[in-house]
Amino acid sequence: MRRTVVVGLTVLALLAALPAGAQAPFSGKTVTILVGYTPGGGYDRMARIVARHLGRHLPGNPTVVVQNMPGANSIVAANHLYNVARADGFMIGLFNRNLILGQLVGVEGMRLDMRRFQWIGSPAEETDVFAIRADLPYRHVLDLRRADPPLAIGATGPGANTYDFPLVLKAFLKLNLRIISGYPGSADIMLAIERKEVDGRAGSWSSLKPFVQRGLIKPMVRTPSANPELRGIPVDQDLVTEAVAKGVLKLRAVPNKLGRPFVAGPAAPAELVRAYREALRKLTQDREFVAEAERAGVEVSFTSAEEIQKMFDEVFATPPGIVRVFKEFFRFE
Amino acid sequence: MVEALLDGLLRVLQPNALVYMLFGVFIGFWVGILPGLGGTVTLALMLPFVYGMEPVQAFAFLLGMHSVVATTGDLTSILFGIPGEGLSAALVLDGYAMTKKGEAGRALGANLMSSLVGALVGAAALAAAIPVVRPLVLSFGAPELFMLAVMGIAFIASLSGRGARGLARGAAAGALGLLVSSVGQDPQAGILRYTFGQLYLWGGIDIVPAVVGLFALPEILDLMVRRTSIAATAPTEKLTGVWEGVKDCFRHFGLTLRCSLIGAFIGIMPGLGGGVAQWMSYGHAVQSAKTAEERARFGKGDVRGVLGPGAANNSKEGGSLIPTVAFGVPGSSAMAVLLGGFFLTGLVPGPDMLTRHLSVTYSMVWTLVLANVVTVALCFPLLPYLARLTAIRATRLVPFLMLLVFLGAYTANNSWGDILVAVTFGILGYAMVRFGWPRAPLVLGLVLGDVAERYLWISVARYGWDWLGRPGVVVFLVLTLAVLLVPFFQEWRERRAGYVLGGAAHAD
Repeated sequence: MRRTVVVGLTVLALLAALPAGAQAPFSGKTVTILVGYTPGGGYDRMARIVARHLGRHLPGNPTVVVQNMPGANSIVAANHLYNVARADGFMIGLFNRNLILGQLVGVEGMRLDMRRFQWIGSPAEETDVFAIRADLPYRHVLDLRRADPPLAIGATGPGANTYDFPLVLKAFLKLNLRIISGYPGSADIMLAIERKEVDGRAGSWSSLKPFVQRGLIKPMVRTPSANPELRGIPVDQDLVTEAVAKGVLKLRAVPNKLGRPFVAGPAAPAELVRAYREALRKLTQDREFVAEAERAGVEVSFTSAEEIQKMFDEVFATPPGIVRVFKEFFRFE
Repeated sequence: MVEALLDGLLRVLQPNALVYMLFGVFIGFWVGILPGLGGTVTLALMLPFVYGMEPVQAFAFLLGMHSVVATTGDLTSILFGIPGEGLSAALVLDGYAMTKKGEAGRALGANLMSSLVGALVGAAALAAAIPVVRPLVLSFGAPELFMLAVMGIAFIASLSGRGARGLARGAAAGALGLLVSSVGQDPQAGILRYTFGQLYLWGGIDIVPAVVGLFALPEILDLMVRRTSIAATAPTEKLTGVWEGVKDCFRHFGLTLRCSLIGAFIGIMPGLGGGVAQWMSYGHAVQSAKTAEERARFGKGDVRGVLGPGAANNSKEGGSLIPTVAFGVPGSSAMAVLLGGFFLTGLVPGPDMLTRHLSVTYSMVWTLVLANVVTVALCFPLLPYLARLTAIRATRLVPFLMLLVFLGAYTANNSWGDILVAVTFGILGYAMVRFGWPRAPLVLGLVLGDVAERYLWISVARYGWDWLGRPGVVVFLVLTLAVLLVPFFQEWRERRAGYVLGGAAHAD
């Protein structure tokens, strides 16, 4: 008798559980995208565009919302997702793409291992471009070795491509540059170029492109990219021969392919992570999403989780000699 | 140009643009009043909705929302001494002091009217500046921006108490503000300063929780101890008096106008930030006092201390549109979000906006004007009711105020650190009030420290010593000296007059 009851209850429980199991894992749920920056920047804009479209591609069509957790170049947010947030998988992150290099050089305050995060992928990539005022007489990037007086290059500060890229160009391509750092933002440097306070700057192609089209600046050198618009511009790694120089330039360019990397916590259920990966892949083929992203000035290009994992393995396999030199040029702070 | 101006107006008055604007005003109204929802975050939330709108409609919606936040954010500063938007903190000094005297209605009326004047002047400045905006902005390099910050810091002399002791305390408070502004990663070399291993401190001390703590917490504490209503000591019939405030605005119209222009000018300069406009116009309002005795009334409920910052807070919005529109350089984080709106609607900020799309640019000017008129019209009937809130007993009000304070502080970084900063500055603020130290110079140092440091560094790195000889720098240097010396001159003149009259009117 008692046994029958137990069996009956078990069957009932199974029956009750069955529809729930068959139901889409996201139905009725809210997915939160945790962004490591304040509103008004590229990461936040990307997160909000993705939030608008991602739900459509997840089984159960959940609501997707954005939460900003700024601080320490998004280390605060990454620490939160890694250590504090609930491991149910309904929170995903969008953090600084340079965090991986931060871990490589041992930045203080990172309480996480980037390799143990479950990467979802990236819907965009960035290319670093170094550009100078269009009215300057230099034609090829290597002409800048003979620049006299040295070109004043506007930059925000260490840890940003506006600063790091000219720094390695100066060191390895021997360009005659003088870096003026401290500008509050990338747009302020652009203004300084207009008033001829500085002669050039580095930055992401997406942010420089409108000014190149306007004829204010001309691109001189760039990092590797599949973008056909950039075909005619020399690539930094091709202009050096020495192995260490090549290694450092290559390492510095790795995060560009990561673009805007989305990530799930280390303990998120595998089923959800699979769904996220699939949804992000479909998203980058979604015409509505692509149209909106391109209007916002984003280079849409899908990088899969496997590719990210492979990149990380390469980064951590960098010979210590190169890492040592790299540390001199890369300050995550 | 006149054609474009009219065309811009007609575009905004098209039914659907107008409806979007009113909808924006409605949202912005609540966002401004409720702390915990910043104007920038709301703009970011609303941005996706403009996808597919015509540019004029999109900006009517976004700017309508944004321009209202600046006005309604002032209300809590005056009513409860809690800056609703962080940047409206200068209003707390005299606005809340007036409320405590039972003049909440008058302060609100004065604020609303000066906000309207400010917005109109800001819009007019925007419209007038369009033909000359590029040379104007381009003539301001890093050295000039540095000197502008120095001039702002010099206002500390006016915001301090009287006599050598008062000045020393003001200078010390200002220096403390500058020191606090240096916490975090330094902007040039990325070195971590005073961060003590705390990630929270990498980004520096955020102005919002610091100011909320500094000004609001001591007042709430005071209210708890008194256990009465905010305006308990005042006769109740003076609670309203909104019209009196409106009249004040016109009684001191010259000051309101000048502060509006200061706000518009600072708004035009990218890279100075929103708080600067309000504090500099407050400094100017204090300085406009004719005698030292009159000056001492500021901070104790002088209506001019409400008019100045109220006007500047709104006029800077018109100004800060200029760099955003003409150069694609956002003057504030809200403008950075707005810049996203440009791209979504297919507009490219830059010289084209001043030629090919001039009527779209003018439609933005008109949106600012119309949205502010609508807001003021909506707010006026509410003011007497709002003013009566100050007659509520402390035991009922304090929990609500605490909520406002901590929500307001927490929105800075969504971090517990924000709460801690607010409490720390609350204790500091309480001590400063208790022992007669001025709080305004501290905030001025905090607001301007970062700007001054950045542009000094850039000036020296770029120009060596040569920057000191630039004409703009020399002009600002002279102005700075004037700002510094005015209080001394006043005191000297008064002392002379005092001897003649045979009376000593000095009391600390």
